[in-house]
Amino acid sequence: MSSPLLDVWEAASASPYTPAVGKGVQFTLGFVLLFTSLVLATIFGLNRSFVNLSVLGVPASLAFGFGAVYMICAVGVYV
Amino acid sequence: MRSVSFVSSCLAALSSFAVAELNLSQPLLSRQVLSSSFRPPPVFKNAHLVRMTNLDKAYARETINVIIENIDNKPQTKYYLPFDASLISKVGGFEVKDKKAPEKGPFKVEIVEYDTESSTEFYLIHLPTPLAARGQQTLSITYSILSSLSPVPASIGQTDKQYVQYTFSAYTPSAYETEKQKTKIKFPNSDVPDYTTLPADLNAENKADPQKQGSTFTYGPYHNIPAGAQQSVSVRYEFTKPLTHASLLERDIEVSHWGGNLASEERYWLVNKGASLKNHFSRVEWQKSSYMSPPTSALKILNLPLHPGALNPYFTDDIGNVSTSRFRPGKKEALLELRPRYPIFGGWKYSFRVGWDADLSSYLRKLKGDSYVLKVPFLEGPRIGEGLEYARVNLRVILPEGAANVKYSTTVPIIASTTTLHKTFLDTVGRTSLSLSAINVVDDLRDRELIVTYDYPWTAGLRKPIVITLGVFSLFAVVFVIGTLDTSIGKKKTA
Repeated sequence: MSSPLLDVWEAASASPYTPAVGKGVQFTLGFVLLFTSLVLATIFGLNRSFVNLSVLGVPASLAFGFGAVYMICAVGVYV
Repeated sequence: MRSVSFVSSCLAALSSFAVAELNLSQPLLSRQVLSSSFRPPPVFKNAHLVRMTNLDKAYARETINVIIENIDNKPQTKYYLPFDASLISKVGGFEVKDKKAPEKGPFKVEIVEYDTESSTEFYLIHLPTPLAARGQQTLSITYSILSSLSPVPASIGQTDKQYVQYTFSAYTPSAYETEKQKTKIKFPNSDVPDYTTLPADLNAENKADPQKQGSTFTYGPYHNIPAGAQQSVSVRYEFTKPLTHASLLERDIEVSHWGGNLASEERYWLVNKGASLKNHFSRVEWQKSSYMSPPTSALKILNLPLHPGALNPYFTDDIGNVSTSRFRPGKKEALLELRPRYPIFGGWKYSFRVGWDADLSSYLRKLKGDSYVLKVPFLEGPRIGEGLEYARVNLRVILPEGAANVKYSTTVPIIASTTTLHKTFLDTVGRTSLSLSAINVVDDLRDRELIVTYDYPWTAGLRKPIVITLGVFSLFAVVFVIGTLDTSIGKKKTA
């Protein structure tokens, strides 16, 4: 008994999906990114200039964005 | 004309009730089921038919092996199987295979109704290759009839044995003439106190029906039974087990590419359709007998065999966490043992939710480009010896946000499917969700798979972190702008 989609599944047996970051390191990575974001935001808070907005604000925002996604996964809400 | 046919169908329905009762002294009459307008063309003949009715579980399982013969002079593809309108709504898991080549898979079947006033409806079986004139083919038809057992007596004591009654036709309902047929009934044990006896002159071998062999009864053989003939009989046998019925099962499967996780959650609405308690529930009596663990009509425990690798199970109901559960992870299966808060006696209900996580890598594979294929069980659920029937199963596969071009395939008969958006944590547009509904599902379909393919570009995956990034960056920008505002009172200082 076979269906077209079952054949598709069988054909893809060599390529199981692996996430970029495994479950074991999600918390560590999320924490490091969120902490980095906090540190950068603090430095920006001490010296709020237009240059710092791009030099510190952009990496802090990126770190918070990815850190938040990994942290929410690490605590069990898999998004 | 229409009213005459309506009255005659009403009379037929009433007579079926009268005959269906356990009335062992009165002779039984054959009944012809006639549809008011439609009759399947008499192009087939059942050369030999053997029906096995298995009553081991809390629902009746029927297997009909029949040699059909095309008696027309043209090749035929449409074979009809009639059911009473009240019965067809309880039939589940209807499958037809070629007995001699079961590996070719099930045939296409559909329910047909020709007249809303008719008491007979049909399953139409499409033979994959037309059966030539005078040609023969062996069909193996299997189905289950849900909610078909009724407890008699309807109320019993807490530690009493439970007896259930099953009513069926000794002649297998058919739209065609049947040359030879018999019906075998397999009981869970040999305690069968009441059953309908049929006179010996109906039987082809002039024996009084049924013939008993341990826990198996045989009605027949009968020769040359005309199309539509029925002979209602009832059996009553011991079944001191719960008649567990799930009026609804909602099952969610959530795919997370970021977390590499497959989250499953199932919400059950269970009811025990067994005999109700004659007196009040006695906790003392229950506790006393629980050490001996005698057979009981109450549902005590539900074992959920999960796939190996299942993690983080939870079991909650309306009150909150139910602590009477055990989780035994293993290499072959991860067994989740659930004990409801109270034993579920006949007529009692219990609703709860259970969920668990699993690694996505064993369920999801990557195809060329940005496509993925997901293979998950359509139904997991408890594995109990006496079986479990589901009146309705609503399955929802929640794919990542931005997944498109969703296709699915399953061997479980589906009555409805939709693709909608489901909004939850960190979503902006909502996740693509595939909803499938099935009715009259039995736990025999546990190992059936659902395969879903979808496209998910990597740019769609970046939506969540980018949205948060932009939000936080705008916060920085707002802080910067506010910091540059001069809110001091008085004249501006000039250098």
